[in-house]
Amino acid sequence: MADRYSFSLTTFSPSGKLVQIEYALNAVNQGVTALGIKATNGIVLATEKKSSSPLADPTSLSKISLITPNIGMVYSGMGPDYRVLVDRARKVSHTGYKRIYNEYPPTRILVQDVAREMQEATQSGGVRPYGVSLLIAGWDEGVLPEEEVEALAAKAAAGKEDDGEKKKITGKTGGILKGGPMLYQVDPSGSYFPWKATAIGKSATTAKTFLEKRYTEGLELEDAVHIALLTLKETIEGEMSGETIEIGIVGPPADHLLGVEGVEGARGPRFRKLTPQEIEDYLTNL
Amino acid sequence: MEVLLGITGKDFTLIAASKAAMRGATILKASDDKTRQLNKHTLMAFSGEAGDTVQFAEYIQANAQLYSMRNETDLSPSALANFVRGELAHSLRSRKPYNVNLLLGGVDPITHKPSLYWLDYLAALAPLPYAAHGYAQYYCLSILDKHHHPDITLGQGIKLLTLCTDELKRRLPVDFKGMTVKAVTKDGIVDIEFDDDKVVKSA
Amino acid sequence: MSGIFAINGGACVAMVGKDCVAIACDLRLGLQALTVSNNFPKIFQYGDVFLGLTGLATDVSTVSDLFRYKVNMYRLREERDIAPRTFANLVSSTLYEKRFGPYFVGPVVAGLEPKTGEPFICGFDSIGCIDFAKDFIVSGTATDQLFGMCESLWEPNLGPEDLFETISQALLNAVDRDALSGWGAHIYIIEKDKVTKRLLKGRQD
Repeated sequence: MADRYSFSLTTFSPSGKLVQIEYALNAVNQGVTALGIKATNGIVLATEKKSSSPLADPTSLSKISLITPNIGMVYSGMGPDYRVLVDRARKVSHTGYKRIYNEYPPTRILVQDVAREMQEATQSGGVRPYGVSLLIAGWDEGVLPEEEVEALAAKAAAGKEDDGEKKKITGKTGGILKGGPMLYQVDPSGSYFPWKATAIGKSATTAKTFLEKRYTEGLELEDAVHIALLTLKETIEGEMSGETIEIGIVGPPADHLLGVEGVEGARGPRFRKLTPQEIEDYLTNL
Repeated sequence: MEVLLGITGKDFTLIAASKAAMRGATILKASDDKTRQLNKHTLMAFSGEAGDTVQFAEYIQANAQLYSMRNETDLSPSALANFVRGELAHSLRSRKPYNVNLLLGGVDPITHKPSLYWLDYLAALAPLPYAAHGYAQYYCLSILDKHHHPDITLGQGIKLLTLCTDELKRRLPVDFKGMTVKAVTKDGIVDIEFDDDKVVKSA
Repeated sequence: MSGIFAINGGACVAMVGKDCVAIACDLRLGLQALTVSNNFPKIFQYGDVFLGLTGLATDVSTVSDLFRYKVNMYRLREERDIAPRTFANLVSSTLYEKRFGPYFVGPVVAGLEPKTGEPFICGFDSIGCIDFAKDFIVSGTATDQLFGMCESLWEPNLGPEDLFETISQALLNAVDRDALSGWGAHIYIIEKDKVTKRLLKGRQD
């Protein structure tokens, strides 16, 4: 009988607030800071990897996760809740997409699926909201931003003689065939936002102020990694090293991670985590 | 050996169905009405397995009427035809499919365009100018191919129907006890007096 | 002449040309040897992708309606039209979902890749096994005849006009040797920014 009736734990307060969601956000705001910066040719996700004891093995800790070959994510908040969401995201990207279309979901679709999962936890019976905010970074196939500018310019040039129906770049519903790097934040309420650069967690406000100062249009991935480390440096408590920093990037296809060579048309994953050694290299150049 | 016939014309759709209710070699009734009115402008004729036919037709009829009551507007003949097709297609892949063949005739309440839809028990749907089900197809379609025009009047339609029933009386090995004939026009559905007693000599 | 796929009859063919593709079908709907309708098209357009369906007429309608629903939902979700290759995989997974109670259809997909404009055609069996082809795909009760016609008439890099002539002759002459298909045809020529649909009368006997 108990399982036949269950009510949502998240209910409106008389003032119209859902306090459970606010509590979840509080949990996020106590979490370790994570940040993401979008560049023209990629994205960087970065966070601090804090171990509670010097006896802990830092190599076993991992906060940035691969979801599909081109999409990865990082969190701030409760680690166990994050792992559940990673599992759900990986599963839904296959059952809800790859097994149907034989291709991986675009970033926005994956983000919406994860956001739906998080929203459902605010309205379903017997569950509590997820205590995490996510940064999801991915690369979508489609018309790249610079190609779009070129196409627009070409159209404007050709516009005089032929104003007729040129082949459209946009979809039929007024939507987009937009490709390139995509960076999203998802909150416990299930709302999501696209960002050029943002941060979540304990020092999110400080980090975002810093990013606002440092971010410029037309940023390259290498610069973005640099800015990410500088931002992290502002907020970090311990020392920065390959062991204590975690970085994930969306960049050019990493064919060396393919495991095979000479397969025609095979493309390596665009999302990959930097090795401690690579991070150290960036840190020495800081 | 049930007979279903449908003919469209300029401003009407004629639906005719044989009056005999048969079971095996026995005629149980000679005044059977194998049609149901779905709404003011749509009529459905049916043939097939004994229990299924009326059951399915009245299920469709009830749903069509429910729609009209809820929405204070009738479904168009094409909407109804596609609804019936959906129900029949659903039934086809069930444990016990309905074995019903249908003709659905109507006049669109807005455009006043007459229409006729042919559906078999597999839920194959075809919009046609004239149609038949069962053995009648083999005898009547060729006659209709030759004599039908899309802009015939109701009188010409009934003459064409007589041409068909004469041939059926001449060729079918059993007496189908004449036809119930109804015409759908923009003003609704009217019963058509049809001479069932006409004797046609066999060849 | 027997079997579920041949009850209603019908034929469909798709061909690759130079920067264009063509897809064509007959218009017959029959019950064994009896023709019920000569206006039953078997090609359906979903955005920029074309799907031809031969086989059991009820499943042609059911499956075409199903994909209309799925493609419309895709378009609303993703705010873009579905690409031919993506659609082909959707057809495959949808058909295989009914592995042990299949739809009795022989689908054909044709379209141009949206980004590259590259021609794309493929065919399927009734449980979704994809047959990617560089030249042509045939389907329906006139499969044998269509294979013969396509093998002899098709050549690489045909322009839109020549492709139209080729596919028309292939279909028309194939269905004339099949008792279960014919009675007119629909031909679609798909180019980068233009789709031409032509109705061919064909032999009416």
